[in-house]
Amino acid sequence: MSSRRFWDWFIFPGGIWIALLFAVPLMLVLALSFGHVDDFGRGVYGFSLDNYRDVFDATYVPVLIRSVAYALATVILCLLIGYPVAYFIARYGGKYRYALLAALVIPFFVNYLVRTYAWVALLADQGLINNLLVDWGFTQEPIQMINTPYAVIGGLVYGYIIFMILPLYGSIERMDPSVVEAGKDLYGSPLQTFIHVTLPATQAGILAGCVLVFLPAVGDFVSAQLLGGPDTYMVGNLIQDQFFAASNWPFGSALTVVMMLFLAVWMVFYLRRASKGEAEVL
Amino acid sequence: MAEEAIRIENVTKRFGDFVAVDDVDLSIAQGEFFSLLGPSGCGKTTTLRMLAGFEVPTAGRILLEGEPVEKVPPHQRNVNMVFQSYALFEHLDVEGNVAFGLKRKKVPKDEIRTRVADALELVDLSSRSAARPNELSGGQRQRVALARALVNQPRVLLLDEPLGALDLKLRRQMQIELKAIQREVGITFVYVTHDQEEALSMSDRIAVMSDGRVAQCGPPEEVYEHPNEEFVAGFIGISNLLEGRVESGGRVRIGEDCLAVPDLGDGHPEGEMVQIAVRPEKVAVDELGGEPYRIEPDMFTVEGEIESKVYLGVGNQLTLKLGNGGRLVALEQATYRMRADEQWEIGQRVRIGWHPEHCMVLS
Repeated sequence: MSSRRFWDWFIFPGGIWIALLFAVPLMLVLALSFGHVDDFGRGVYGFSLDNYRDVFDATYVPVLIRSVAYALATVILCLLIGYPVAYFIARYGGKYRYALLAALVIPFFVNYLVRTYAWVALLADQGLINNLLVDWGFTQEPIQMINTPYAVIGGLVYGYIIFMILPLYGSIERMDPSVVEAGKDLYGSPLQTFIHVTLPATQAGILAGCVLVFLPAVGDFVSAQLLGGPDTYMVGNLIQDQFFAASNWPFGSALTVVMMLFLAVWMVFYLRRASKGEAEVL
Repeated sequence: MAEEAIRIENVTKRFGDFVAVDDVDLSIAQGEFFSLLGPSGCGKTTTLRMLAGFEVPTAGRILLEGEPVEKVPPHQRNVNMVFQSYALFEHLDVEGNVAFGLKRKKVPKDEIRTRVADALELVDLSSRSAARPNELSGGQRQRVALARALVNQPRVLLLDEPLGALDLKLRRQMQIELKAIQREVGITFVYVTHDQEEALSMSDRIAVMSDGRVAQCGPPEEVYEHPNEEFVAGFIGISNLLEGRVESGGRVRIGEDCLAVPDLGDGHPEGEMVQIAVRPEKVAVDELGGEPYRIEPDMFTVEGEIESKVYLGVGNQLTLKLGNGGRLVALEQATYRMRADEQWEIGQRVRIGWHPEHCMVLS
């Protein structure tokens, strides 16, 4: 018996694990999305497209659009904030590079929920920032910061920016510094060189960072739940409500399936680029 | 001398406490192929980077055709550089790479097209204009880097070890091509290399650098035949160094022997200790007691024995032990009369000779 075939057997423990605990529940969700709710509020399997029709109902479409809009805003902000940070660490960090990266990563060991609660403590009407503003006399009344789209997007940026910075750092660090010098040598001003040389040379990291931030941000419910209000409802909150508050599991399942298909399109796009070496793989 | 393209005046560059370039003074003529030669860390690349504008001198001036440029940023200088790593733009095809500088300078589109085509023609890459850099071989990438710089018709082209990444055969071929291209376009080339053969074969003049300063600057023949110090003699080619004491009448005593040294000149007082260098290819070796075969009558001769022999195909590299314990290296060509492997046994007693005019006196 060749050792190759022997080692092949090791696919099974993990394979079975994934099949039982990942694929099967997913199939149940998919099956339930075609079902309906009985008189007692329990999900019943069946076959109807009613739930999918409801997903694209006028009530919920704004929620879907809002989710995508918030996620896109998050991606853009993460890119604008993350690029200079990653660039600075990669090019000028020197021997402190890894210490600086660690300083960025360590906060992310704290649970996302806990970190978002910290933002509540900062932004609330009686929170730290408002108390200081009132004490110092900048304002009489607390400024409304929590329960706004800004707070929700801010929470998302804070929550996911590391997924932007790490791939950006990777691609900037790997870039040959003399390419930037070549841009300047060939009469590119600093801005032109950045646009025509540095950005294209790091596009793999940019693409990876954008996808890696967009995917979790669009389905997020924690930020909107803690930092937002009814007007900042995202699809993640909607799904959570169907399972825990409204007890409409079939509709929640349909929402989940639609969102997963939407994300899968992005994921496939990303993986194809990554396999061609055009995107950073984290 | 023709008109001056570059003047480097008392330029010093410090990085913290480290002096990379130490009070360098150079003048490079219009249309010259000028090489900066030296080991790594000698300051040659820093000098080049100051010409390009990537480094600003700590002290001193740099004049480009009479204009001081030491504080002008690289994108506003009319010089271009060929980078050691080529630094091609991987997201652009060959044509896009070559057109990059002209586009930044807002040259009209039609003109860009013809100039890019001409540049690719010059480096023999017209057929690969649509290829991406990662589809090209090392030699082709090198040509793209060259075309990308030359297409801008810079006043001066700076080349930072451009052939370093190529294999030996390709390097030889590119040396010839580079020299031909330089003759054709007539642009001043400043060429940085640590390869003495490369510098000797291509340059009009060479500045040999060591520890941030210029040790010697002159045409290849002068630097090779008349090195002015031990470093230059040792860096360009191999040199046999002999200690000697100056005696009267332009003679130098080496051990028990005394020889007239034409290169000595007037600058050396009697009793001074000097270094005498002899190139290995100038050393002739004959069997002791046999008919003189290589040694000529007016040569200075000593006795010795063969200590080791390296067979090179076209000849032998012999290490010779002298009577006084010193050692000499001799490079001997095989001839139509004799194959290299048919000569010499280890331990064989030999007569060693060279012409006194091939003695180089080092300060």
